[in-house]
Amino acid sequence: MLHELKYSFLSTVREKSAVFWLMLFPLLLSTMFYFAFSNLFASMNGFSQIPVAVVEVQKNEIFGKVMDTLSEGEDAMFKTTYTDGENAMKLLEEGEIDGIIYTDGTLSLKVKTNGLSQSIIESFLTQYNTQEAVIKETVQNNPQKLEAVIAAFSKEIDAVETKPLTNGTMDIFVGFFHALIGMVALMGSTLGFNVSANNQANLSQMGVRKAVSPTSKLKRVIGSMLSTFIIHCVCVAVTITYMLLVLRIDMGDKIPMIYLSGFIGALTGVSIGYFIGALPRISLNGKLGICIGFTLVTSFFSGLYVADIKGILSVYAPIVNEINPATLITDLFYCLMLYDDYTRYMQKFITLLIISVIFTLAGVLLTRRKKYASL
Amino acid sequence: MENTVVKIENLVKRYKELIALDHFSLEIKECEVFGLLGPNGSGKTTAINCLLSLLTFDKGSIEIFGQRMAPDNYGVKSQIGVIMQNVAVINELTVRENIDYFCGLYIRDKTLRQQYVKEAIEFVGLEDFVKFYPKKLSGGLLRRLNIACGIAHKPRLIILDEPTVAVDPQSRNKILDGITELNKQGATVIYTSHYMEEVEQICTRIAIIDRGKNIAIGTTDELKRMIHNTETITVETADLPDETIEKIRSLEHIYEAIYAENELIVKCSGGRHNLVKLLDVLTADDISFGRVYSERPTLNDVFLEITGRQLRDKE
Repeated sequence: MLHELKYSFLSTVREKSAVFWLMLFPLLLSTMFYFAFSNLFASMNGFSQIPVAVVEVQKNEIFGKVMDTLSEGEDAMFKTTYTDGENAMKLLEEGEIDGIIYTDGTLSLKVKTNGLSQSIIESFLTQYNTQEAVIKETVQNNPQKLEAVIAAFSKEIDAVETKPLTNGTMDIFVGFFHALIGMVALMGSTLGFNVSANNQANLSQMGVRKAVSPTSKLKRVIGSMLSTFIIHCVCVAVTITYMLLVLRIDMGDKIPMIYLSGFIGALTGVSIGYFIGALPRISLNGKLGICIGFTLVTSFFSGLYVADIKGILSVYAPIVNEINPATLITDLFYCLMLYDDYTRYMQKFITLLIISVIFTLAGVLLTRRKKYASL
Repeated sequence: MENTVVKIENLVKRYKELIALDHFSLEIKECEVFGLLGPNGSGKTTAINCLLSLLTFDKGSIEIFGQRMAPDNYGVKSQIGVIMQNVAVINELTVRENIDYFCGLYIRDKTLRQQYVKEAIEFVGLEDFVKFYPKKLSGGLLRRLNIACGIAHKPRLIILDEPTVAVDPQSRNKILDGITELNKQGATVIYTSHYMEEVEQICTRIAIIDRGKNIAIGTTDELKRMIHNTETITVETADLPDETIEKIRSLEHIYEAIYAENELIVKCSGGRHNLVKLLDVLTADDISFGRVYSERPTLNDVFLEITGRQLRDKE
């Protein structure tokens, strides 16, 4: 078996097409995802500063301090310009600012259009008016705590902040990368398919040559499957490592579990490929087509191309999400990011393990025959 | 008395309506180079696949080294080397690695295997190509690698299924010499081919197969003695009167004389000096002639006479 493992390993790692599709292609695709989606999500989710003008009709020192605090740092809420009324109007007309705040005893707001930024400015002013007494008291009695008070205050007015149900967080951007890892894992089906094809006398000349040898098919298949699984785990690990270290995708801090999730996905991919390879009455090219088609279709339903598809399926056909291996793999990553305990994770993990065992056993049953009616 | 290595009795193999092997029987003795000769589709490869327990069959029995052959008879399998018609090597492994891989399916001991691999490489003359990948080898060298992969474990029975198809003459000769050498070293060889010259050159006994039946078996001489024809004389001549042809037909031991397309073909059955007698007739009738040649019957003649068909299309 070690002999089979050694040479199966050598021949697979030297196969250029396998190296490309399982090692380089995922890196290229994840890089492409990174550049395509990071800009998109930055514009959607990134809290860009809201440009406002402050026209101090009457000096309001406390409000000025609050505005200065909210306009500082990397995650500043506002980009504030202090100017006169005329210039402020000009900037508003030209679209350089989203609103003008007048400090005239009370605070008032002038906007040109309605939108998210304008709503946030309005919400901020409402909050400020409500909290003004607290802020004044802090400035007078505990000025060192002003920053903390403003931080708490600004959090309340953050209209788009997600309120997670658990300690974990994740965004839709990371979800695409999870789905991509799921696809890479299932692409291992082509490796599993090769194991089937190369060990069956009715499928290839290589199968004939091996079948006439005194090494049992079981030993040969176990050796090949093991080497294939190891290689595919390396491919998945490279993809995950690239995402974590090079692309800096935030997948949470349960790093060993992230890799374990990739490995169970790799096992499922290889098992499914072995089963497809063992299917009777289909040509080798046909089976290879099924492997690729299976990977693409299941990946589609896991949200690789359309993020919402999983949600739609959970409403109209929840069973698809429960048995789709690509979805189950991506769900493993979701579980790691969103839940502190491993109950849901283990459910998904065991389901994938069962799928792997079922497909492997089905493949073994289909290829248990040692003599054929025709070759 | 020589031991029986292969014994096939009344083998019947059907593919739906088609009978691929029709009560096919065979007995091959130790140290024979046994040829299975027949046209394409005659059942040679099917017989080999049944022998190797790759194919199911409807009726009959197969014994190798005195044991019933079965897919899990690993003891028997370990003594067989197989070289199939299509090259089956791993493109991602070098020449040495390929031979080591296939040898390793038979030989567990690493030291012994290294020695066997080295000997196999030398045997097929691939010493200069051990680090080459199969895709870098020419067709002939690839065939040699295919053979090395099949014989590296020093099998007692070697089965070669059309190993010289699409091989250049130099490599073909190398392969045929190799088979003879393996036989000298003690291996029993089963060699299937539709190239009668090859079979005639290396086989000690031959079975001619047609439509799944074993229609004749024996040494080359025995097979040739089975037929009427002992000599075929061909004479190139531009003009041959009917009366001269009749004179030729009336000669003793000549049973057929056909003149067509400026070529006289005369078939003889026994007798001596048939060519001299024929030329005497032509000279007496003042017939001028060009090339003249006499041929002993070939296995194609044997096949032709038994089945009424050519063994293979002219190439």
